[in-house]
Amino acid sequence: MERAEIEKKVKEVVSRILGVDESIITPESRFVEDLGAESVQSLELVAAFEEAFDIEMEEQAALEVKTVGKAVDFISKYLK
Amino acid sequence: MKLLIFENDQWINLTPLSYTRPVFELRCGMYTLLERIMAAVKTRDITLFVRDYLVNLAKKNYPFFVNSFKGDDDVLIVDGRYLVEEDFRTDKEAVYMCEDEVVYAFVKKENAVKIENRSICEIVDFVKTLPPIKIDAKMMKYPWNLVHYNAEMLKKDFSKSKKIGISGNFSPHAVIHGSDSDVYIAEGAEVHPYVVIDTNSGPVYIDSKAKIFPFSRIEGPCYIGKETQIMPGASIREGNTIGPVCRVGGEVEESIFQGYSNKYHDGFIGHAYIGEFVNLGALTTNSDLKNDYSPVSVYVNGKVVCSGDLKVGSFIGDHTKTSIGTLFNTGTSVGVMCNITAGGVLPKFFPSFVWYVNNKFMKGFGLEMMLQTARAAMERRKRILTKEEEEVIRKVYEITADLRKSYISRSLKMKS
Repeated sequence: MERAEIEKKVKEVVSRILGVDESIITPESRFVEDLGAESVQSLELVAAFEEAFDIEMEEQAALEVKTVGKAVDFISKYLK
Repeated sequence: MKLLIFENDQWINLTPLSYTRPVFELRCGMYTLLERIMAAVKTRDITLFVRDYLVNLAKKNYPFFVNSFKGDDDVLIVDGRYLVEEDFRTDKEAVYMCEDEVVYAFVKKENAVKIENRSICEIVDFVKTLPPIKIDAKMMKYPWNLVHYNAEMLKKDFSKSKKIGISGNFSPHAVIHGSDSDVYIAEGAEVHPYVVIDTNSGPVYIDSKAKIFPFSRIEGPCYIGKETQIMPGASIREGNTIGPVCRVGGEVEESIFQGYSNKYHDGFIGHAYIGEFVNLGALTTNSDLKNDYSPVSVYVNGKVVCSGDLKVGSFIGDHTKTSIGTLFNTGTSVGVMCNITAGGVLPKFFPSFVWYVNNKFMKGFGLEMMLQTARAAMERRKRILTKEEEEVIRKVYEITADLRKSYISRSLKMKS
């Protein structure tokens, strides 16, 4: 899967789970500070990424990812 | 005479409570199953047989032999799920059976040598060759059996204990409604003003250093464990065993708390068994009766079993936490170290270590963080998570992985 395609899907998931407009989500957006993610929502994000990309991520490492761009990098590793 | 107490592969039917402890550590009445067996047999030459991953923990917790038997004397061999009510018969060599299960066996020294250094399966196979005698025995096969017999055992235990009267601090503004001879308040226990102890339906035993705060009502039969606190305004209805160092408020009926757990606030828990270091958020409530008054079914290790009982509450594994307002359905089984948040009608089964958030099963923050939380929770009650306890939790995480994964994966495939 191309990086652009991954990024598009990540944004869709983030928008759906956090209830924010896709247009304000950039690779630099921080989940907590910029997009308002609560700790419970970060769990949902991990679960939703796993579902969307059909992957299984290492939960602690996944929860350390702080921005949308880093999430794209992190997910890309599982898709190689 | 030697005493050998064992658990066999039936331990799985007592999960989630038995995931982190041998079956004989479960409570019914004022005592654990092990304490009952030991009280009935006056020997300290004891061997325990437990499943492999509990061996180190058992060795640390008991000054007994574990999973290794030396056959140099007569031996009484007892299934750890047996709820002992009467003396063991040791007048002749025999195996005492109930519904095709070995309850206990008495083996003479001459034969004891034949089971030396054998596995528990081999030992049980051997005792099955002895002359069988059928008996009626209460075997704790499922978690709800412990709850079912709790009130009855509390009455019997109080009567056998011969403890009566007030050794602790009983406020002149607290009252005993019913017979004074059905109350024991141990030394160091405190019963504060405006507490009502109602013994009309059974005795009340309050163990040392327990504190009963004002405006609470405790109905017998009941046992309040050492250093447990009953929070102001609590309604402790009939048939409860509350183990040591718990904080219990709200309404509790016919339930067992293993110990070190918190149900600080309002909310109803009935016909339930709560493991250790469980924290139930404010207003957490379980149903214990179906609206059609039919027998309650319970998931046991992921499979449905009909309890045959009309009143069955929740069974909650060690270190599980619930959010405010969690509402458990009738006969819910919650695994070890789960994190449950409220959300409509909840499922009846939660595999160990899941997080249940917004009506979905999830992996949560992972085992390491859960262990960190467990350490913090235990420190608050002056306990440390030992290396052996941690080993057990890691093993339970491993053996419950498939079940957990299947629930998480199915949950994620469902539409939000």
